[in-house]
Amino acid sequence: MARLLLIAEHRDGKVTEATLELCKAAKAIAATMGASPAAAVFAKDDSIAKEVAKYIPEVFSVTDAKLEKYTADGYVQAAKAVVDAQDVKGVLVPHTYDGVDYAAKVAMALGCGIVSNCNKVEGSAGNLVFTRNTYNGKIQEERSVKGDKFVATIEKGAFDKEAAGGAGSVTAVSASIGDVRTKPKEFVSLMAGSVDISQAKIIVAGGRGTKEKDKYNDVIVNLAKKLGGEYAASRPVVDSGWTDAARQVGQSGKVVTPALYIAAGISGAIQHVAGMKGSQCIVAINKDPEAPIFNFATYGIVGDLFEVIPAMMEELG
Amino acid sequence: MKIVVCVKEVPDMESKFKIVDNKVDESQIAFKMNDFDEYAVEAALQLKEKFGGEVIIVSSGPERVTKEVRQAFAMGADWGIHVNDPEVDKGDSFVVASALKKAIDSLGGVDLVLTGVQAEDDQAAVTGVMIADLMGVPHCTNIVKLEVGGDQKTLTINRELEGGLNEVLEISSPCVLSIQSGINQPRYPTLPGIMKAKKKRLDTKKAAEIGLAEVGEAGSKTSFVKMFFPVSDHKAEIIEGDAKTAAKKLVDKLKNEAKVI
Ligand SMILES: Cc1cc2nc3c(=O)[nH]c(=O)nc-3n(C[C@H](O)[C@H](O)[C@H](O)COP(=O)(O)OP(=O)(O)OC[C@H]3O[C@@H](n4cnc5c(N)ncnc54)[C@H](O)[C@@H]3O)c2cc1C
Ligand SMILES: Nc1ncnc2c1ncn2[C@@H]1O[C@H](COP(=O)(O)O)[C@@H](O)[C@H]1O
Repeated sequence: MARLLLIAEHRDGKVTEATLELCKAAKAIAATMGASPAAAVFAKDDSIAKEVAKYIPEVFSVTDAKLEKYTADGYVQAAKAVVDAQDVKGVLVPHTYDGVDYAAKVAMALGCGIVSNCNKVEGSAGNLVFTRNTYNGKIQEERSVKGDKFVATIEKGAFDKEAAGGAGSVTAVSASIGDVRTKPKEFVSLMAGSVDISQAKIIVAGGRGTKEKDKYNDVIVNLAKKLGGEYAASRPVVDSGWTDAARQVGQSGKVVTPALYIAAGISGAIQHVAGMKGSQCIVAINKDPEAPIFNFATYGIVGDLFEVIPAMMEELG
Repeated sequence: MKIVVCVKEVPDMESKFKIVDNKVDESQIAFKMNDFDEYAVEAALQLKEKFGGEVIIVSSGPERVTKEVRQAFAMGADWGIHVNDPEVDKGDSFVVASALKKAIDSLGGVDLVLTGVQAEDDQAAVTGVMIADLMGVPHCTNIVKLEVGGDQKTLTINRELEGGLNEVLEISSPCVLSIQSGINQPRYPTLPGIMKAKKKRLDTKKAAEIGLAEVGEAGSKTSFVKMFFPVSDHKAEIIEGDAKTAAKKLVDKLKNEAKVI
């Protein structure tokens, strides 16, 4: 039977959340295609493959000393070996940092098309439609892939996590991993030692719409102080040096779940939302009524944050 | 060092978006340089300042994109190639990557190709990886730190990972790196820079002139189906009124309805 193959992600010997979401995605999409779901695990031994087999019926394991650490070259060669050895119609890769680093190269190695950052895959065998975010989340796009194979990367959070419980088979696939041209050295954390906003009950976050450092301080920091909470920021604010990296919320920053999250001058890009969508009550203040952040907020004010926030400060007394 | 930077023009995301005939109505849109590409241009200029050499801008798009290429010139880039061919624009990421690769080939060997992490419009994050594969050179994505050794061959780079983690790795040139925001503070063009930019060399090429035969829908590996505005099953409760009225109502709701302050 034709297979839909997901490539598992793991770090420090642990299967990542994105992999569990892919297991769920692979089962749903495989059913649509009339294919069977399977996973490929690339590692130095097959301990992770055994773990992944709890979530999906069939696992192909490529083991090699060169696969101890993630590298694009290693992953692409291993992926090619599995696809060549099995009847694989589609390859799913998580749209994470590692995934984005190698997925397009797998598509090139297979000579097939890639649709990246998909949040939905529907249709039928030979007629799959991939839905994805474009224009910073303002517009959704549907694409299809020509030819008989595809690679798709799946947006984090688009599917729920699969629960453990199965006992899938693990089959070794041999591959000779040749040249690996990037040399991983070490991991470093850039967040240690600073404030921990993830503990705060109230967070006031400012985005690029706060315009400049002084204004960010004036509205965001002051409102946070008045509410007895912490101030935080979207990435552009940190990139511009208006506040420190430890206060960045999102995929590349902190994940926070306060009782109240106020997002002012933040558009609601998926990478930001990934870090705050679990907040209990979300307030969006944005002058653009079409800003995606309103799709996640509890309360919204369409207006100029430099008018709304001072008015809130006055109201709070 | 001979460094290529791929620069894409994208809509300013604060523009008013309208979809007409399954396309974004461009008459309503203000265009600008893709944010991530500005960081790539700055990274290239800093390397040139340290090691000498040249920075070449490569861009594919309609006539309009010369504005962003000249902006990169005004920042300090030396010259550029503009692939101006509607048949390339009609293609998918694979066609665009192939066109950019062919344009780079015409330079007869380069040390480094820099792209942005992703284009803000198509959010594909695939072009740089495809260019590297087509060139047969290694790549790395999401670079937040870049140091070139004295040999100008060995690069030590930080690749961004989730939650503030970085991976440090080594890679040798020639290679393709996709540059993440925050790696530097892109400079503003100076007035003399802007004056000089007007006179810098910008070659315009059609696909055929750089030896690219497969273009448009025929050369693409994926097809566009349609676009639409997202329909969310959740919408915020919009609090109406002028700033003062809305702020008052909001504070009241936070105190008495949500009970979070
Ligand atoms: C791999 C990767 C990782 C990333 N990680 C993160 C991350 O961890 N965190 C993160 O935040 N981003 C992250 N990003 C960036 C993300 O894609 C967006 O670019 C970013 O979140 C946008 O920030 P913003 O909303 O502040 O700015 P913009 O998108 O520019 O939005 C500014 C908003 O302010 C509004 N505005 C302007 N003026 C006013 C005013 N006077 N009053 C009210 N509203 C106003 C505008 O309408 C607009 O909606 C990442 C991107 C990538 C590719
Ligand atoms: N038409 C283009 N012209 C020049 N560079 C491009 C073009 N399209 C994509 N790129 C480069 O590839 C990067 C990633 O784009 P994408 O893969 O479309 O998300 C961008 O940041 C640019 O550096």
